[in-house]
Amino acid sequence: MEFQSVRDILDFAITKEQEAHDMYADLAGKVERPELQKTFREFAQMELGHRARLEKIKAGELPGFTDEAVENLKLSDFLLDVTPRPSMGYQDVILFAMKAEKRAHDLYVGLGKATQDARLRQVFKGLAQEELKHKHFFETEYDEFILEGN
Amino acid sequence: MSVKHTLAPFSAWLQAFSKPFTLPDRHGYREGADRYRGWHINDTKTCIGCGSCAEICQNVAIDMVPVDDPVTGDSGLRPRVDYGRCCWCALCVDVCPSGSLGMSNEYIWVEADADAFRYIPGVDPKPWDSAEKGWRQEEGFDLVDHQRVPMPMLDPAERTRTWAEVVVGYSREEARREASRCVECGLCVAACPAHMHIPDYIAAIRDGDDIAALNIIYDNNAMPEMCGKVCTRRCEGVCSIGVQGEPLAIRWLKRYVTEQFDDLSDVVHAEVERVGEGKKIAIVGGGPSGVTVAYYLAIRGFDVTIYEALPQLGGATFFGIPKYRFPMPSLEKQVKLLTDSGVTIVTNHRVEKDEMRQLLRDHDAVFIGTGLMKPYGLRAPGEDLPGVMYALDMLRDHHIGKTIDVGKKVVVVGGGNVAIDASRVSLRLGAEVTIAYRRRKVDMPADEEEIEDAEAEGIKIVTQAIPLRVEQADGGRLDFIWGPAEMIQEEEGRRPRPKLIEGVENHMIVDRVIVAIGQGAEHSWMPEEIAEKIADKRGWITVDENGMTAYDGIFAGGDLVNSTADAISAIADGLRAVVGIQKYVGVLPASEDEGDEPVAIAT
Repeated sequence: MEFQSVRDILDFAITKEQEAHDMYADLAGKVERPELQKTFREFAQMELGHRARLEKIKAGELPGFTDEAVENLKLSDFLLDVTPRPSMGYQDVILFAMKAEKRAHDLYVGLGKATQDARLRQVFKGLAQEELKHKHFFETEYDEFILEGN
Repeated sequence: MSVKHTLAPFSAWLQAFSKPFTLPDRHGYREGADRYRGWHINDTKTCIGCGSCAEICQNVAIDMVPVDDPVTGDSGLRPRVDYGRCCWCALCVDVCPSGSLGMSNEYIWVEADADAFRYIPGVDPKPWDSAEKGWRQEEGFDLVDHQRVPMPMLDPAERTRTWAEVVVGYSREEARREASRCVECGLCVAACPAHMHIPDYIAAIRDGDDIAALNIIYDNNAMPEMCGKVCTRRCEGVCSIGVQGEPLAIRWLKRYVTEQFDDLSDVVHAEVERVGEGKKIAIVGGGPSGVTVAYYLAIRGFDVTIYEALPQLGGATFFGIPKYRFPMPSLEKQVKLLTDSGVTIVTNHRVEKDEMRQLLRDHDAVFIGTGLMKPYGLRAPGEDLPGVMYALDMLRDHHIGKTIDVGKKVVVVGGGNVAIDASRVSLRLGAEVTIAYRRRKVDMPADEEEIEDAEAEGIKIVTQAIPLRVEQADGGRLDFIWGPAEMIQEEEGRRPRPKLIEGVENHMIVDRVIVAIGQGAEHSWMPEEIAEKIADKRGWITVDENGMTAYDGIFAGGDLVNSTADAISAIADGLRAVVGIQKYVGVLPASEDEGDEPVAIAT
C-alpha cells in the first residue's frame, strides 16, 4: 500500500470503516437470534459513525485526532479468535467485534511503522488510537458483562 | 466576753470587701455540667433515620421528618425535637442504635418565637452543634443488645466429609432471644426487594407465635425457607443495630420459622378474594419469580400452570445451590404448598417456539422466568479439552443425581456464588480446590460469608489470575496456565479492571478446570417475533412498572430482568407481575396499587 498524502490515508481508513459496516450488516442478516441481529445492526451504525467522523476530518470540519489516553485491557490479545456462525451468542459477538477492532488497530500501527514521512506517521497513529478506543468499548463490555463473575 | 467576740462585728464587715461566693449577675453564663442533658445534637451523617429515638420518647417530643441528602440505605428522615414536650430524660440518646444522637451541656436559649423550640438537631444550625460536653451514650450501658445470638454451625473439618447442612439452625429459645434485639425501625423493609414485613414477623417470633410469623412471611414470599437459608439479606445490611453491633440475624429468624412446620398447608392460610376464577396463566420457568407468580395467582383462583425444563422447580435454587446450603426437603416442602394451592406443575418439559405461541393463544397471560442458564465459555485455547467443564452444568448434573468425577485436584475459574458453590461441591467430592479469580478478593461477587466458609473448609483463592490457556499435561491431567493481573481504576466508584501483566506465566496441574466466569440468557426456545420485541442485545428483558414486556400479555421476571442475580429480587419481580397480571386481565383496576401487599393476608 502506497500512501502519498493524508488524504490517501483517510480515504483508505474511510473505506475500511465502510467495509466494517458492510461486514456487520451482512452478519446481522446471518445470525439466528433477532436480538443479536439488532446488535450487529447497531455495530454497523457505529461504523458509519466512525466513517462520518473521518470524512469530517478529511473535509477539515474536525481538527483531527485527539491524543486522549485509552487504556488497553489486552483482553483481545489472549482470548480465542471467533468465526461468525448463525448460532453464535452474545459472548462471541462481542469477542468477534473486539478482535476486529484489534486487527484494525494493528493494521494502522503497522502502516505507521512502515512510513517514513513523520506527518503521515502521525495520522496513522491517530487512526490506531481511534481503533483502540473502539476496541476498548468492546473490551469493557466483555469485562463487565461477560466476565461479570470473574 | 473574749476579745474575739468583741471584734466579731468588725470582722464581719471585712467580708463585704472580699470576692462574693454567688454570681454577681443572675443573667450571667455558667457552663453546664460535663454530662448535662441540654439541647440535642445529632451527627446527621451517622444517623440512619431509624426512628428509635421517636419510638422510645414517652412524651412524643420527637417526630421523624424528611431531610435533603440522606445517606444511601437510610430512611431519609431525621429526628425533630419539640422542647415544649421534651423532659430531657435522654432515653432517645441512650437508645440511638447509630450513636449519632447526643445532648449538649448548653441549657440557655432565649428566643421570642416559640416555634423555634422545635428543630432538627444537626440540620438546623445551632451554636451548640459542636459541643463536646453533654450527655452521650455510655459504653457498657446499652439499651439495645449488640451481640447476635450465635448460629450453631458444623465444624469446617466435619463439613467437608458430609452433605449435611452447614448451618444447624436456631432453637426456639435462641430465636426468641435474637428476635428480642429488634428495635422495629423498619429500615429492613425498604431494603428488602420484596418489602417483606420483617419487624412484624420478628415481633411474632419474639412473642412465641410462630404460626403468625409464618403467615406474615407468606404475605409476600412464597419461597421463605429458601430465603431463610441462602438469601443475600440486604435487610441485614441496613439493620440499625448493625451500625454499632451485629445486625439482627433476619435470615436465620426466617429460617427458624419455616423449619418449625413440616407441612406448610397446615399453617399457611391465605385470605384473599378468588378474583381470578376462569383466568388461565402459563409460567415458563419454575425459578423463584415463576413460583411467586404461580402461588399468589393460584390462591386468587387463577388456573396456573408452570412449565419447567428440569425435573424439579426452584430454578437456580434447585440446580445451582448445593444441598448443604439448601437441602431438597426444604425445597420440596415449598413446592408442595404450591401444588396444594392448585398450581399445575409440568417438569422435565422445555417449552419450544410453537408451544410458546400456543400458550399465548390459550392463556390470558404468560410469565417468563427462564433465568440465565447459558454459561459463558472460557474462550481461551484448550477450552475444549476433556476435563474442562462448566460450573453450571456440573452443579446441575450433580443435583439431578448424575455421577460427577472431578478428580483429585480442581481449579475453579471465577469469583461469583456459582464458583464458590462449584468449589465447595468439588471439595466434598474429594478434590483439593483452588479458585482462580481475575480481580481482587474484595471484588468477588460471591457472598462474603460464602467466601469465608470456603476458605475455612480449605479452599485456596488465587486472585488477580487471568486464565491464558489450558494444555494437556501428563497422565491425562491439565495444565492451567494463568498470568498475573494489575488492577486499573478507569472510573471512580466502579470496580477496577484487571489488565494482564505480560511475560509471566504460572502453571497449575489439575484434573479439572471448572469454568464459572458468568452466564447469559438462552432464548433459542423463544419465537423470533417475541424475542425481537422483548430481548435486548445481552438477552435481558425489559419490563414496565407492571412487570409486562413490550409484547402484549407477556410478563417477565428474575435474572432475565434484574441485574442483581439474587433470589429475593426474582421474588420481588414475581410480586410485581402478580399485580400486573391482575390488572392486565381486568380483575384489578388499572389504577389500583396493592403496594407492598400483592399477596395473602395472614389469619
